[in-house]
Amino acid sequence: MIVLPIALLLFQGATALPRTAGGEPDLSGTYDIATLTPLTRPGNVKDRLSLTDEEAKALAKATADQMAQKSLASDPNRKAPPAGGDGSEGAAGNVGGYNAVWVDNGTGAFKLDGKWRTSILIDPPNGQMPAMTQEARARAMARGRMSRPNRGDAFWITENMPVGPYDDPELRPVAERCLMGFGSSSGPPALPVLYNNLKQIVQTKDTVMILNEMVHDVRLIRINGKHEPEDIRRWLGDSVGRWEGDTLVVDTTNFKDQPGMSGASRNMRVIERFSRIDAKTLRYHFTVEDPTIWTKPFSGEMAWPATDARIYEYACHEGNYSFGNILRGARLLEAETLAKKNAK
Amino acid sequence: MKKRIGLAVAGAVALLYLGMEVRSVYAHHAFGAEFDPNRPVLLKGPVVRLEWINPHTWIHLEVTGEGGKKETWMVEGGTPNSLLRRGLKRDSIKIGQMIIVDGYQSKDRSSRANGRDITLPDGQKFFMGSSGTGAPYDAPGKEQRK
Repeated sequence: MIVLPIALLLFQGATALPRTAGGEPDLSGTYDIATLTPLTRPGNVKDRLSLTDEEAKALAKATADQMAQKSLASDPNRKAPPAGGDGSEGAAGNVGGYNAVWVDNGTGAFKLDGKWRTSILIDPPNGQMPAMTQEARARAMARGRMSRPNRGDAFWITENMPVGPYDDPELRPVAERCLMGFGSSSGPPALPVLYNNLKQIVQTKDTVMILNEMVHDVRLIRINGKHEPEDIRRWLGDSVGRWEGDTLVVDTTNFKDQPGMSGASRNMRVIERFSRIDAKTLRYHFTVEDPTIWTKPFSGEMAWPATDARIYEYACHEGNYSFGNILRGARLLEAETLAKKNAK
Repeated sequence: MKKRIGLAVAGAVALLYLGMEVRSVYAHHAFGAEFDPNRPVLLKGPVVRLEWINPHTWIHLEVTGEGGKKETWMVEGGTPNSLLRRGLKRDSIKIGQMIIVDGYQSKDRSSRANGRDITLPDGQKFFMGSSGTGAPYDAPGKEQRK
């Protein structure tokens, strides 16, 4: 008498989520993963996984207020910005830009299991990246020597560096060269970035495709497939998938030397888990192992909410004038710096 | 009182998050690599050409220098996909529209600059969506596309 209704309920629960003809959960759809929740946890919430409703509201409001503030009219009689730079940090590089209208990085934190999350990382439990290996620290220091605040000088010439950061186009970051998106946008692990955060999943019995709006990077995940031999390497790695119950588990190896994940090496391995929370939301979980770089694996998770927005083409090579500007600018600075040096 | 303190704390958390966003940004290319902080520019003139291309839009404007010499400058703007989601299309901006741009010149000293702030002659933001476009991220309504 009681068993039947429970069985019916379970059956209904199991079938409520969209499924393919083959019976697997249907993960297909377009998702916008933009979020203000960062990868690592900010210092003043370091002891907790979630924000209060009040904090989440304040964050969303502060973001909206900031947008409104940046939308206000400027002084039509304004002068040129200050010589020596405007002090802006990050990608804005002391010259501004990447202003409010350019970015599309979400309007609030994301919610998972009913809680607003403080960080995408959940392991280590403090929401911070694990310690780097000695080799990785040396690599990071070498990169740091090449990457300076923008003062418009050819420091690599004045400091007699054997190789400068602009000596060879192939020394430039892969995102600048339009080879891949920036900030592990396409992953794996797929992380939210400043803009172009849309993903489209198309699923067949044998293959799951993830189209990333950023640089129209496509990941093809072979279901029950085998990894390519060790010597076949791909920018986004080689992904094979399997179903574990209602979860799609994707195993990615065979990366090239510069995977999207900041600091990672070709030895990285990423395990991703995709599952449906409801008809409009996916749960995305990942674990990254790279013993060359990090002393321990790390894991994160986030919600992928479905969107009605459309993915537009982002043909990065179409008009990448910046790359020429950067290299020509470096040649000019070098010539001037050498001329000054030789005149002394 | 307790509620007010709670709100202040919540606000402080929000500010820290916003601060992180600014510091930790990655982007298609570092603007610091391309533009010279020692060469600030202020450009005024009519739009003569729009390149609505990836990875970034470029707006060409004709600047009249001292002595009446005309020079075309190119200004780097946002990515077309983000602009489209704000309701801005290639034809939202008319050739001949007068604009004011402040930014920094390209390190290669060509007539190129970043569009740090691009406005109409009255100071209204050039890139903010007009009201009522129905775009998902419409900015607070202002009738700017005249």
